[in-house]
Amino acid sequence: MLCCGVHLIESTRHCKFLEILQMECVVQGIIETQHVDALEILLQGLCGVPKEQVRIHELCLKSGPNLGVVPSEVRLLCDLVPSMPSWTVRHVGGSLRGPGAEQLSVLVRSVVESKVSSNVLRFFYGLGYKLDHEILKVGFAFNFHRGSQIAVSVTSAHKMPKLHATEDAVPITPNIHLVEITSPATAENYNEVVASVTSFCEYLAPLLHLSKPGASTGTVPSAAAAAAALMSNSVNRLL
Amino acid sequence: MTVKWLMHWQPKPGATLSTQILAEACQCVESIGGQKDGRWRSMLTFYKPMQRDPSVPVEHPRDFLGLALQEQPSKYYFILRPNRIVVEADASIQAIMEKLQSYKARVTLNFEGFQYKLGDFQVRIGKCVPSTSEALRGIMMEVEYLPLSSIEKSRLVLEEFFDIWKESISKKSLPGHFVPIESNFTDYGLQDRYSSQHTAVQYAACMAQLIAAVRA
Repeated sequence: MLCCGVHLIESTRHCKFLEILQMECVVQGIIETQHVDALEILLQGLCGVPKEQVRIHELCLKSGPNLGVVPSEVRLLCDLVPSMPSWTVRHVGGSLRGPGAEQLSVLVRSVVESKVSSNVLRFFYGLGYKLDHEILKVGFAFNFHRGSQIAVSVTSAHKMPKLHATEDAVPITPNIHLVEITSPATAENYNEVVASVTSFCEYLAPLLHLSKPGASTGTVPSAAAAAAALMSNSVNRLL
Repeated sequence: MTVKWLMHWQPKPGATLSTQILAEACQCVESIGGQKDGRWRSMLTFYKPMQRDPSVPVEHPRDFLGLALQEQPSKYYFILRPNRIVVEADASIQAIMEKLQSYKARVTLNFEGFQYKLGDFQVRIGKCVPSTSEALRGIMMEVEYLPLSSIEKSRLVLEEFFDIWKESISKKSLPGHFVPIESNFTDYGLQDRYSSQHTAVQYAACMAQLIAAVRA
């Protein structure tokens, strides 16, 4: 865990690689699948950019026995949307802690990503890492700038009946979609980024409640009415 | 487009390495028309596993290599020789390896020297020294043929260049000779079209040759 404020800034002076300083602000929430269309309409109106398709095969690897000072975990993300799938290694580090961080409605954590060649899974197996679990995330996302660069993804997690069988994947929770809002930040600007993410979350409040990962507050009672209003408005506009 | 051959200096038995050989090789490139075109540096790092209990036998490799190339500053390469894997990644992968704390960057060797333009060729000659000292560990050169990217199609012209180079360097009567690095790219799943991953595989083979030469 990183310590909020002074300690974080202090530690960055000793970082060997600038990329270590890369952080992200993140909130998550859930929404019933029946209201996803309404959420999409709302997001489309708010963001003003075309939605992007999401189809990510996510593999979580953990270090084998006796490897490393402490057990470690790394995620390999394979973007299946392009005709030639692209791979990214993602490491999620500690989050800000301390009284200041607790008051934030957004989680601020260190994240490092690296685009890699497609043989990266074999490489990590070769190093002694083991597959812990894999999922397929299917849905859509909006990437736009509103105070900071914000990414909103709305996805359904799928499990695979056989190893790596993404074509046969089935939803784990067919009635629920995960909504995640992330924004890149640094030790210097995370307060502003938190503010812009928090501000954006308010627009979505009638449909879903967003909170720090691991602290889900469930669905929102007003979602059905808000979704109905959004769908009705949308139909009226079309007519 | 480019195809590159790496060569390492193989000293005669009993002969010692010296920077004088490097100076003579640089002179030799200039004598065949090479024009100095600045300095270059590549950095090769040995990553070693960090074990919780050193007495317990392990499944993971004893080491693997990381390579930073001057011509690809935003990229980084890993070579896992026992498994014949070469990985190309963004330079930020080094930060991820550091954060995982499963392998540690133990020793870094710098390959550094001068580069020369020579018609359609680019030649780099340099020494291999640890990042923490000036102790000479080896001498190597890169010969790059710029107009082609097919390894097979450029083989003849690179062989001809090497013959001319051998003839020129032999006039210096130096205690050793340059040997092209033998790399089986297909073992690594690499195709005929040359890429920086081919360079990474050659650096790994070059490192093995330099270690073998020092031991001999």
